[in-house]
Amino acid sequence: MTLQKDPEGFEQKTLHKLVNFKDKGVLEIGCGEGRLTFKYAAASSLTVGFDPDHDALRIAQADSPHTMQKHVHFAGASASNIPFSKETFDIAILAWSL
Amino acid sequence: MVHALDEIRRTLKPNGILIDLRPVESNWSVEVVSSAGWQAAGRLSDLPAAVADDEAAFKAMREAESRGWYIKREEEEFAFFYYWDTPSEMKEFMEDEWEDFEKLEEDVYKKTSSLWASANADARVRVRVKMLITIWDKRWS
Repeated sequence: MTLQKDPEGFEQKTLHKLVNFKDKGVLEIGCGEGRLTFKYAAASSLTVGFDPDHDALRIAQADSPHTMQKHVHFAGASASNIPFSKETFDIAILAWSL
Repeated sequence: MVHALDEIRRTLKPNGILIDLRPVESNWSVEVVSSAGWQAAGRLSDLPAAVADDEAAFKAMREAESRGWYIKREEEEFAFFYYWDTPSEMKEFMEDEWEDFEKLEEDVYKKTSSLWASANADARVRVRVKMLITIWDKRWS
């Protein structure tokens, strides 16, 4: 099957038009395989992607570009119990997950 | 869902923002697209579970707003396209992945197949998903 999602990049363009990710700490809830994550995380200082689907997270981890591996992390968790102290992130993204 | 929005708020810095990015149901359009342009073949039918999910998400954000956790900064709609090479690939995907949310009615599938068969050789099929992005500022407490 030759499925293509958003080849025009409208999602990425809209996201970057509205939000500046440069040097920001980002929490993404519902990161899945990292499809959206890798479109903004290069500019961030720290990105943490959460998803309860461990198979998807393995793919995200495997596909993580070398240049992002030091500041982009994935974890099996949900937004109902975020294992970070208060006031950690500049940006939280509910990525197709609310 | 409301608890999660409170938990997210806890981890946001005082000037932090929440981005709510998601598709919203609106009987998404099925289209045939080629180098010659695109044609609408019909619309998908939203199933009750998908409509209920949308309503729950909007309700949760309204609740978070009414509790003074977030204030809406801006909102924008845009299109997100799913493309397949053939109508049958689209149909198979929908039956596997969207079975609880969207229904491809037989008449729309037939129209899509007909338009695709008579279009240029580079024709593909796509679904135009309506996306909503909302930026929320964390409110100072």
